[in-house]
Amino acid sequence: MADSGRHPFLQGLSKHRGAPPTVVVIFGASGDLTARKLLPAVYNLSHDNLLPADFHLVGFGRKVMADLEFRAVAEAAVKEFSRREPEPAVWARVAARTSYVAGGYDEPAAFQRLAVQLAEMERQLGRDLQRIFYVSTPPSVFAPIIEQLGACGLAAVHRDTPLHSKVIIEKPYGKDLASALALNAAIRGVFAEHQVYRIDHYLGKETVQDLLVQRFANAIFEPLWNRNFIASVQITVAEEVGVGLRGGYYEQSGCLRDMLQNHTMQLLALTAMEPPGSLAPEAIRDEKVKVLNAIQPLAVGPGGDVARAQYAAGMVAGRPVPGYLEEEGIASASATETYAALRLSINNWRWQGVPFYLRSGKRLARRVSEIAVNFRRPPGTLFAGEAARFDLSANTLSFQIQPDEGLSLILNTKIPGLETRTQPVKMSFRYATTFGSNTAEAYERLVLDAIIGDGTLFIRGDETEASWRRCTPVLDSWRAAGREGMDTYPAGSWGPASADALLAGAQHRWRQP
Amino acid sequence: MEPIFEALPGLEVPVDGIGRSLARMWAEEAAGGRPAPEAEDAKATQVNFVLHLGFNTDAADAARQFATVLRFAQRYPCRVVGLCPRDSDAGGPPLRAKVYGECFLGRTRADKRCVEFVMLSYDRRARAQLEDQVSICLSTDLPLYYWAHRFADSGRLADYRFLLGQAKRVILDSAGSPADAMRYPWPNPAAIRDLAYCRLLSVRQSVGQFLAAYAPAALTEGLSGVEVRHGPAWRAEGGVLAKWVGERLAACGWAAGAGEVEVRERLAAGLDLSLRFRYAQELKAFSWSGDLAAGQALFRADFGLGRTELTSGVALLAPEVALSEAMFF
Repeated sequence: MADSGRHPFLQGLSKHRGAPPTVVVIFGASGDLTARKLLPAVYNLSHDNLLPADFHLVGFGRKVMADLEFRAVAEAAVKEFSRREPEPAVWARVAARTSYVAGGYDEPAAFQRLAVQLAEMERQLGRDLQRIFYVSTPPSVFAPIIEQLGACGLAAVHRDTPLHSKVIIEKPYGKDLASALALNAAIRGVFAEHQVYRIDHYLGKETVQDLLVQRFANAIFEPLWNRNFIASVQITVAEEVGVGLRGGYYEQSGCLRDMLQNHTMQLLALTAMEPPGSLAPEAIRDEKVKVLNAIQPLAVGPGGDVARAQYAAGMVAGRPVPGYLEEEGIASASATETYAALRLSINNWRWQGVPFYLRSGKRLARRVSEIAVNFRRPPGTLFAGEAARFDLSANTLSFQIQPDEGLSLILNTKIPGLETRTQPVKMSFRYATTFGSNTAEAYERLVLDAIIGDGTLFIRGDETEASWRRCTPVLDSWRAAGREGMDTYPAGSWGPASADALLAGAQHRWRQP
Repeated sequence: MEPIFEALPGLEVPVDGIGRSLARMWAEEAAGGRPAPEAEDAKATQVNFVLHLGFNTDAADAARQFATVLRFAQRYPCRVVGLCPRDSDAGGPPLRAKVYGECFLGRTRADKRCVEFVMLSYDRRARAQLEDQVSICLSTDLPLYYWAHRFADSGRLADYRFLLGQAKRVILDSAGSPADAMRYPWPNPAAIRDLAYCRLLSVRQSVGQFLAAYAPAALTEGLSGVEVRHGPAWRAEGGVLAKWVGERLAACGWAAGAGEVEVRERLAAGLDLSLRFRYAQELKAFSWSGDLAAGQALFRADFGLGRTELTSGVALLAPEVALSEAMFF
């Protein structure tokens, strides 16, 4: 039993109820992500009694602030962004153990102050604390922070004990393969891989976790989950919003880096991987890496496996919106894509010959993330030849990741009546209908997983490298081409014609989810 | 008089028309502009739930447990069958039925969950029909959970073996069950869950997390006894806490005979539950005390690394949350 290796006083409790004494240090404490996601996650974990009694929170940032001021900022963030109305008694418990350290991310003296403060907490508490360093800053300071954590000795505290230090890193993990390798090298110079938790918040979503359950806990799917029965897989991560005020960031990033290389590739890995030997984090990550490494190099250029585009002016939700090049902070000759689509081939026994179509974009018809598995059609012996009577669809199993989380299956059925006529129907399961919608947010799950040391829903270094290995040649090619080959699509549509062409050869079509 | 049955909400319907009555009830709800499932699948039933209100349940208690199940069903929509046994000499027809339905609206349009209750009041004359009647009220193919609330006599549970044997979990509350309930020869003893134990989850978790930061040997070395104290309202919880602590310490290597876990019903004002380890070494100490009304607990410990004093939140699980803990975890 998995329980047998645990401390006797934790046996019988869920692993998520066994958090050790912990201090979480947030770098980028006054940032947007901290306010919107991290502080509400800490509050809600405390509300649900999932944090240990001796939990401490330390904000670290460049802005000079007293502890009291940081607590007030944090309280305001929780009030604005928490999924629950904050309860004063719960917040008071969190606030009482919340403090702040001001300093530069490359300033050794600031990190020394942090180290002294953490040691003093332990001394006052009379017992050891696990240190978790949450790097929620712009990527330009990832490496300096990691370096300073190593230099001041914080990375090594309690090494080789269950309370060893951990570092949580937000995406992006590099901007191409070379920078990802460099970042991983910097991290590994200070932390061992088992101390590193790279966040992709998509993996914290219930439906993404449910993908493993649906695949491997239901006997009806896995026997069909291969090239003999599946014609294609489409993964869509569509946004309705435009670039907004993030033009400066987005110009340096683009859709392939921002969405496809990380979120969408992770969804692909979970969809296509082989059954892991166990639910142990490394067993699952090993299988994800194997399938990512089996993705074939992408052909770029005309007739290739990739498409890119920028949104032009159009209508979204009934109101006119400007095109990408008219947005604030965007160069008039920008060659940054707001839409990207890939046609991937996975060269292994299970998937050879099954195209995986990935797409993501801004200003698409609606916000939706889904994985659609399109099955092959049955042999047309019974219902062929009378298309008017027999309206048949390929069976499609779709996992809706957001919004309206759930899954649906398209089946063909007989229309009631004397004559045999058929029609596709949709069988649906909705999380909100079955379980309610006020469930834990992805960040709550991920922060708690890091505290208890479960890396299953985090990305290992070799996963990021495998993904960049396929995406970097595409980015290099696009950079070299400038605007040549850049397609456009009207804002509010489902994307450019060049993306349709990726599917046309196999007589497939993009879904309009 | 059938005080339990009368105390429960719902509409009395003919026993042979329960299905039709449920359909008519939802149609009337929809016609009145109130939330109702558009189709059978909108009920999204996950489990069958049998609420057995035993002879020791009074009308007010029945209404409370009904409300608990209703709150539980907001999170875990289920088909609920309420069993309300009565004495044979109470008169009236041997079997009566009531139906009740309610939909809960969440934050989104899709977030609508509906629950259906069928309550059956019966005497011993109806015993032969009960099994069949319950079977047609349950949703086919879904797991069955059985809550035996305040039954008077464990021996009479034999009447319900047809349900107890197939139940995935059988839920009791040691705070209101006969003394022999835990020793009763249940068809599937592994399925039994005690709500008092589940209510204590946050206490077990909090104490467990705290003590897990120390090596098992550090907890048991020199340990000469454990004292659990509880207020008068928390006798069952005190017993459960003592049993749990004893088992955990044994797993830490505390030898049988090295000391005892004592349970006492006497506590300082403002406290509801407390736990204290007694050590042979003078400086070594551990205590935890909880004020459940204020939601505050206090740890005091010294295991040789320095004195630790720590406050934490504490609360027993709400009844509907304890129910889900007993059923699913």
